[in-house]
Amino acid sequence: MSKASPEHGGDRKPGVIGTVWKLVTNNFIFRTVFRTGFPDTMLKRMAVMRSSFLMHILPTKVGVHGLKLYYTWCMGGITFFLFLLLTLTGVLLMFYYIPEEHRAYNDMKDLLYMVPYGRILRNMHRWGAHAMVFTVILHMARVFYTGSYKTPRQFNWVVGVLLLTITLLLSFTGYLLPWDQLGFWAVTVGTNMAGATPFIGFEGPFSELLGAQIDNDIRFAMIGGTRIGANALIRAYVWHCVGLPLIASGLILFHFYRVRKDGFSGPL
Amino acid sequence: MDDFPYGSAGGDPSRRKFFLVSGWSSLGMLAAGSGAGFAKFFYPGVLYEPQTTFNAGKPGDYVAPTDPKSVVVDERFKKTQRVWIVRSFEGIYAMVAVCTHLGCTPNWFPGEQRFKCPCHGSNYNVEGEVVAGPAPLPLFRAKINITPDGSMIITTGLLGIRRAELQYIKHVAITSWTDQEKKEIKKKPFFISLKA
Repeated sequence: MSKASPEHGGDRKPGVIGTVWKLVTNNFIFRTVFRTGFPDTMLKRMAVMRSSFLMHILPTKVGVHGLKLYYTWCMGGITFFLFLLLTLTGVLLMFYYIPEEHRAYNDMKDLLYMVPYGRILRNMHRWGAHAMVFTVILHMARVFYTGSYKTPRQFNWVVGVLLLTITLLLSFTGYLLPWDQLGFWAVTVGTNMAGATPFIGFEGPFSELLGAQIDNDIRFAMIGGTRIGANALIRAYVWHCVGLPLIASGLILFHFYRVRKDGFSGPL
Repeated sequence: MDDFPYGSAGGDPSRRKFFLVSGWSSLGMLAAGSGAGFAKFFYPGVLYEPQTTFNAGKPGDYVAPTDPKSVVVDERFKKTQRVWIVRSFEGIYAMVAVCTHLGCTPNWFPGEQRFKCPCHGSNYNVEGEVVAGPAPLPLFRAKINITPDGSMIITTGLLGIRRAELQYIKHVAITSWTDQEKKEIKKKPFFISLKA
């Protein structure tokens, strides 16, 4: 390899590989992507490392305890991995799922029986979602028991609580999408609870003060109607696929930024 | 204006403060207006939901019980309208098939003469009173209006079952009908007297 590089060509006439290599590397575009040139000296190697995006986002130093994988299994990392997995499988499911009253349940069934690899995709999404709620709670338990929520990490704990809420909301909105009996009635029950919100829920205490009725209260805004129907399905779908993942991504970025700034509190 | 933190160089401090305050309050009002518009966006102006009024045919279409103590519950409108037409020994009434706990659809068990909700186990007797489970109120009763040709027009509510008028008589969450309500649900429009 190093013999074919322009720097080591010397006076020898380059062969076919050397000519192609020169064609590929000795131009403006290549030098735009790989800025430091071939890393054949200590200085260039350091320059490669220093200008790498991965090196940029990783901390300059990490304590030994921060690298030790403990019996808590880097649960936050597993949660993040599951988030990425759910994003990937979720996007693939979107290719075959239509959030419409007459299609939704059948599309879910088609994913199980007719779509190539659809069953494993759906099951990865479903079990991954269950697992993510579980790992978030385990991660929070670890943070709590090791006292990692204390100063200076108290703000990141609050961000983590918001992420827990987003995780549960993602779980809840995803529950309706198969449009089966379980999800339909679970979301009926869940959104009827919102109807009991004080002041802004039509069944809640003090609802008469603001004139909350079935067709203008908070539950109505959630499900876009007075009962679970087509509006509720499309709302759950949009929040599940676009709104909540975007909010979650922003919060996760900030969560990691704070981890980077505050450092690891101990073994992961 | 001595406490003004941006100094006085390059202009009159009071003028600068005026622009700061007016600028930020304009932005604040814009944000508040956008937030209100965003919230308003989630309230649909038109709904494509099933009608809450339907024609349930004539009272004679429904089978009367032979035993004065039991009722015959007709489930032909349960799936489309979420209403049971109940024929008792004395007459006919319409019950809304929505559990008052959290809105699931109970099932009718003729052998036990009870409605049972599959979600959290609320049980109702033939009058809709709660006999077991977490439900806070009796089942709602739908209004029945008789047309000149004798058909029953059933109204489950203005925009859904929760506006059935009878619930406004009750102000406390109790699981059985009060004496006043018992009189109310035994006359029009909640009850059509018929011979057995």
